[in-house]
Amino acid sequence: MAVTLPEQVELDPDRDYPLAAHRPELLRTPTGKPIDDLTMQAVLSGEVAPDDLRISPDTLRLQAQIAERVGRTQLARNFRRAAELTALPDELVLSIYNSLRPNASTKQQLTDIADRLENEFSATLCAQLVREAADVYQRRDILADPA
Amino acid sequence: MTAEPLPVSTPTSKRTEALEARPVNLDGFVEEWPEVGMVAMDSPYDPTPSVRVADGVIVEMDGKPRAEFDFLDQFIADHAIDVDTTEQAMTLEPVEVARMLVDPAVSRSEVVEVAGGLTPAALLEVVKTMNVVEMMQALQKMRARRTPANQAHSTSARDNPVQVAAEAAEASLRGFRELETTLGVVRYAPLVAIALQVGSLAGTPGVLTQCALEEATELELGMRGITAYAETISVYGTEPVFCDGDDTPWSKAFLASAYASRGIKMRFTSGTGSEVQMGNAEGKSMLYLEIRCILVAKGAGVQGLQNGSISCIGVPGAVPAGIRAVLAENLIASTADLECASGNDQSFSHSDMRRTARLLPQLLPGTDFVCSGYSAVPNYDNMFAGSNVDSTDYDDWNTIQRDLQVDGALRHVPEPELLAARSRAAKALQAVFAQLGLPTITDKEVEAVTYAHGSQDLPMRDVLEDLKAAQSVMDRGITGLDVIKALEASGYNDMARTLLAVLRHRVSGDLLHTSAILTPELETLSAVNDANDYAGPGTGYRPAGERWEEMKRLRHVVSASNPETEVG
Repeated sequence: MAVTLPEQVELDPDRDYPLAAHRPELLRTPTGKPIDDLTMQAVLSGEVAPDDLRISPDTLRLQAQIAERVGRTQLARNFRRAAELTALPDELVLSIYNSLRPNASTKQQLTDIADRLENEFSATLCAQLVREAADVYQRRDILADPA
Repeated sequence: MTAEPLPVSTPTSKRTEALEARPVNLDGFVEEWPEVGMVAMDSPYDPTPSVRVADGVIVEMDGKPRAEFDFLDQFIADHAIDVDTTEQAMTLEPVEVARMLVDPAVSRSEVVEVAGGLTPAALLEVVKTMNVVEMMQALQKMRARRTPANQAHSTSARDNPVQVAAEAAEASLRGFRELETTLGVVRYAPLVAIALQVGSLAGTPGVLTQCALEEATELELGMRGITAYAETISVYGTEPVFCDGDDTPWSKAFLASAYASRGIKMRFTSGTGSEVQMGNAEGKSMLYLEIRCILVAKGAGVQGLQNGSISCIGVPGAVPAGIRAVLAENLIASTADLECASGNDQSFSHSDMRRTARLLPQLLPGTDFVCSGYSAVPNYDNMFAGSNVDSTDYDDWNTIQRDLQVDGALRHVPEPELLAARSRAAKALQAVFAQLGLPTITDKEVEAVTYAHGSQDLPMRDVLEDLKAAQSVMDRGITGLDVIKALEASGYNDMARTLLAVLRHRVSGDLLHTSAILTPELETLSAVNDANDYAGPGTGYRPAGERWEEMKRLRHVVSASNPETEVG
């Protein structure tokens, strides 16, 4: 059976949303389970782990498509950044968030985070956001003092 | 030295005495003081609207060249405003845009498109031309979701999880689609968040729950599936205050993506008066600064915003036209195509007349969440410093809905149903705590909370034991799945299934869209599949059919067939 990549699926918000109700066959957990496999029986037998109750990058990109089709550009961009962040462990997500707080990081530290996002996780949109922050923080003088 | 005789006091009339005794005179009122930002929406120091685009970039906004942009200006210019349409949109006179907002013949999407090109100062000029009735007319069209909803606070002055669970059950039966809790003692959070979640399952299914905490902790509880969404992600309208909040538009935008990356619904929070309250309004009006917050939310790509002054309501409430400005901020959030959870939460007046008047501008047109914190507990138990409406106001709220045939998203529920749900919530929590090895909930507590009004009616809990257990919830890595298993193992199979369905929605991401809620049938209703289609008389959402029949029921309604009896 040929596998259709989510990026190739053309969604129509009127017909396909909510995806859980109308296109469940497109929805998988990050671990690859179809959404319909998340049954009570599977939970009780221990087949469902906390990681199964997360969204996959493909699903976020499908939802981005829906958002774009109803004219919500920024929401869609957020979903595309989120798709990238699904690959990061929780602790790393929290630590990058903390690094982006005012006066928390030097320009170099932010640049390193951006590089890591791009190189290690292919998170180019997120890297772009962090680089942009580094520039603005420098101009507005809210970088940490290099000590 | 001889003492001066005391001046003879001017006699006071009986009328003045009667007026002095009125609760409204306990409220605080101040004169406008634009230099410090104590002005609602009309400051001589607010900028004049302008925009200039060069090479696809906004290089001047509201009289400021790009080199002088503070970080909010830059974020808004680069992420919120539509650079392709802005120069065209900015040629419209403010009153023309205001007329588009009010005119039912102009569709919501046309207005959203034009507004997407307007700068903060331009949006301010638009609403300055509108009175409150025009704003309400506009809001009923601009609200993103067709069907209005409501949110409640379920908290306890003693952080008592049993109380929070029972109140969550009652609130869900009464119609709230979102429930929020917070803590007196922050370390109690894991237990109270579990209680809120479990309790909400004992009433009407499909309620989403949240626990308001510091950003990083709130995210962690969300990631574990103990809470279903988040809201306390604050943004501010000046750079110094944003930094005092230990964030920037970029850190918040990253956080928005972090939530979405775990499939968790989230909205930002802001409100007029926060910058004055935090001492750095830069001499701008409260509404101008709030519009900047709204556009930061839009630019970050978060689906929605809780605004309407929120915890700073005393500030706009004290100045002329302050409550008009609060309505204006809800309207602008909706016009920015964001979900709007529209305030009416923190208490702001001693006067029943005044708190009702403050409520009507959101209740009458309807918003995505009319209250973003109706207190489901008596105000002495409300850990958000009290709400404009609390659990003693339910019958008044239901009566206002019935009088005006306006859907405030609540309903009267007969006592036996409420008692059954409260008792079931407490018993289910008792079972879940036992399953998870958390401190005992006694039968006496279950019985007491079933019939209680507030925490004063409940036995004391062993707080130290509870706090130790709360820590163990975090240390042991307990998640929503453990709660599902505990419910199922204790025979609360329907509640377990509902919670699994709520958490499974994370996998689909349907709830990440603008204004998404779950119906009692556990289906997603959002601005995508329930888009507001108001286009004048005879269109849009109107309570009818079964819902209207439900709204007709009150605690005491005389039967038409037998005037000796009551229905309802």
